[in-house]
Amino acid sequence: MGRRVKITLLLAPALLVVSVLFAGGLSAAVVQSLGYLPAIGRTEVSLDAYREVLGSRDFLDSLLLTVYVAGASTGISTVLAVLSALALRNSAGRLSAAIFQLPVTIPHLVAAVGIALVVSQTGLGARVAAALGLIGEPSEFPALLFDRHSIGIILTYVWKEVPFITLVALAALRGVAAELEEVAQTLGANRWQRFWYVVFPVIAPGVVAASLIVFAFTFGAFEVPYLLGQTYPTILPVMAYNEYRSIDLSSRPAAMAINVLIALITALFAAAYLRLGRGLGRG
Amino acid sequence: MDRKNRRRGNLGLAVAALLVALPFLPLFLWSFAGEWRFPALLPTGWSLRGFQALAEPGSRVIEATINSLVVGGAATAASVAVGLPAGMALGRYEFRLKGLVVFFVLLPILVPPLASTMGVHLTFIRLGLADTAFGVFLVHLVPTVPYTTVILASVFAERGVELEEAARTLGATPWQAFLRVTLPGVAPGVAVAALFAFLVSWSQYILTVLIGGGNVITLPMLLFSAARGSDPVLTSVLALIFVLPAILALVAALRFLKAGDAKKKQEGLLGLGKVS
Amino acid sequence: MSTRLEIQDLTHSYGGDRPALSGLTLSVEPGELVALLGPSGCGKTTALKIIAGLLSPTAGDVRIGGRSVLNVPPEQREAAMVFQKSLLFPHMTVESNVGFGLRMRGTPRGEMRERVERALRRVHMGGFATRKPAALSGGQQQRVALARALVTEPRLLLLDEPLSALDANLREGMRGLIKEVQREGKHTTVFVTHDQEEAVILADRIALVTDGHLRMYDRPEAFYDRPLNREIAEFFGAANFLHGQARNGTVETPLGALKLAIPATSGEVTLTIRPEAVRLEGGENSFSARVREATYLGTQVLYGLEASGGVALKAALPPHTRLTVGDDVLVRLPAESLWALGR
Repeated sequence: MGRRVKITLLLAPALLVVSVLFAGGLSAAVVQSLGYLPAIGRTEVSLDAYREVLGSRDFLDSLLLTVYVAGASTGISTVLAVLSALALRNSAGRLSAAIFQLPVTIPHLVAAVGIALVVSQTGLGARVAAALGLIGEPSEFPALLFDRHSIGIILTYVWKEVPFITLVALAALRGVAAELEEVAQTLGANRWQRFWYVVFPVIAPGVVAASLIVFAFTFGAFEVPYLLGQTYPTILPVMAYNEYRSIDLSSRPAAMAINVLIALITALFAAAYLRLGRGLGRG
Repeated sequence: MDRKNRRRGNLGLAVAALLVALPFLPLFLWSFAGEWRFPALLPTGWSLRGFQALAEPGSRVIEATINSLVVGGAATAASVAVGLPAGMALGRYEFRLKGLVVFFVLLPILVPPLASTMGVHLTFIRLGLADTAFGVFLVHLVPTVPYTTVILASVFAERGVELEEAARTLGATPWQAFLRVTLPGVAPGVAVAALFAFLVSWSQYILTVLIGGGNVITLPMLLFSAARGSDPVLTSVLALIFVLPAILALVAALRFLKAGDAKKKQEGLLGLGKVS
Repeated sequence: MSTRLEIQDLTHSYGGDRPALSGLTLSVEPGELVALLGPSGCGKTTALKIIAGLLSPTAGDVRIGGRSVLNVPPEQREAAMVFQKSLLFPHMTVESNVGFGLRMRGTPRGEMRERVERALRRVHMGGFATRKPAALSGGQQQRVALARALVTEPRLLLLDEPLSALDANLREGMRGLIKEVQREGKHTTVFVTHDQEEAVILADRIALVTDGHLRMYDRPEAFYDRPLNREIAEFFGAANFLHGQARNGTVETPLGALKLAIPATSGEVTLTIRPEAVRLEGGENSFSARVREATYLGTQVLYGLEASGGVALKAALPPHTRLTVGDDVLVRLPAESLWALGR
């Protein structure tokens, strides 16, 4: 059997699954977003749905909210993760791995439920505040769920993603960065110089790659905002889902157009991530 | 100096452990709470009401658990079966367009599967796959196959081909070498991949809702509707049941990744990111 | 820039049952190159890291230029270290790597460039300034690492097995370069190695360390000619050991009474002589023996000899000595090559 034939055969099942179920589905979404829906007798192709979506106030509000939630979650998570990695680099390796691996493994849905029970107006946080005499009534506790600033959503993401990025940063810090830092020290670099000239540049590619994944994920994720988000505006995937579920089939192209736009934006971040990964020489 | 650093690190670790545990605290308390009015810090009464409610036939928990297990098990088996050869190809061989293939295979976990699933929905309806457990199983392959493929690719890449070559020089046919040398060698990696695939499938909510259309009830769907309701006891009990496999998987993984190679394996897992 | 290094009673424990280093004391003269020689895990790298300040000793003192540096952080010790792996900063060019130490000290740009260029030329890497480390071979990387350590003119140069990651054919070149650069700059240097040949070729003095203890500290030839005990003698390739009774300046052995140039103290002793010191001739300290074994080694032939009383001896002789197995020969052990080992 030739090498090429062998490789092709080995890859075929996986490529088939991804091609049919993912790429096929995505193509169908693109086709439907162009207004081609023979099921309801629409066969002409147009960019109307995109025009409609991009021109609507709702979409703009949703987009801004999505960028805000994804950006804030990613930014806060990245900063906290780098700081905690630096603080924890000297701690017991296996223990820290266990502690940080936990949130990474926990489904988002459970995280959202748990966080909600901590930060809701009758939640654990409010009860502690009441016990400390800071508030008397639940309504005096700030509304952190279903709120304008999406605090509950962001908190859930931060709880899930900080450990993820921290593990990436810790792996880099405990690997070659630690050795390079020793070299820098014997060459006369003080604590700040070591961080700025050596540690930071060395861990940055891994951390940035992890942050890109987090951004792409939080940009396109549905569950947490659907559970903890306000009713208007909603995050883009929720908006697409609501449009999709509407009884009026003519709103289907708009739903698909939103989906295609989400896919395009996240694919850009995915490409950036893989580029970075290749630059790092990973497989 | 090193000792002081270590102590500070362990203090930080304790803080981190506390923050990680925080959301689980109300989940545990509510699960066993009888009465817990604001502003009591702890439940004022204890009960097993939530567990009893779930044991009743009307709760559909048994049905949902079975569905989740069946779909998850099938998706795990299929995605390992598909990911094993693909991982072998990607881990062992260099070929033209390899970068593109990797990008293509990874795309479903980097791009949210909402778009593709909605896109495929119409076709599923036409083929009679919508609203069936088989249809749900099929869409669960979209996020699971990339994970198994990439995990197994890194397993094969790390392993090299020397052992197989040695087996060949000792008279093994390619097939014998695969069965007797390769497969036992990658078994731990296959276990990790299977674990990951199962957790990913187990955690799926939106794909199941879209394709199952309410006909195929899984645990996350029950949890979701409970969470949107107003009974924290029921929600918490469901959440604990739902999270159990993840905890078990984690314990298994940590036992499995013994000291020395823990870091490497961990990085391997991390490159892949996350479940759900 | 020559500075004396003194290590006093250095002890370090990682918390295990045996300390990695116990009571190590030695001093390195200004401009001297000392090799810390020992098997892996003997504590030599621990010692080096303590000198550099990367580890704090459990007990003992390190003095550079007569002043204790235990409270001086590594970055202020001016003790540059070259590691087993080159550990070049992967995100910087060769030039920035070499200039790193100067940049940390705020050296003006013009001076920095000039010194970096000079350092690179010293290690024969003049044309590689703008390359990234990943574009260099292992040997080139290690040379850049050496330049990076030297460019700040450190008071101490610490080398941790800098040759062990290199291919055999590159090792010799790098070894020569280290020696040349060190002589030229008169850097006080500590060189950690497990390779006896490397230590002998490079070092002014060798400190033999096993199990965290200093076993012998002397010039390389002393390890061959006057080893302290049998263990050290064997480590340096001695193969002949004779038990005897020392009396009135001679040693009574199964081969007869042997004379020593440096008389042994009376009592039971073990004599040693290197195989290459054994002569095929008559005279003082001579006896007859039979050739039992001959192994051709290219530049010499190693003979296994059996003397009266079944005493076995090894003799390394020039290849033109054509002896065959079974020959009877007259063997002499020159008095100046016989050495009585301590207990």
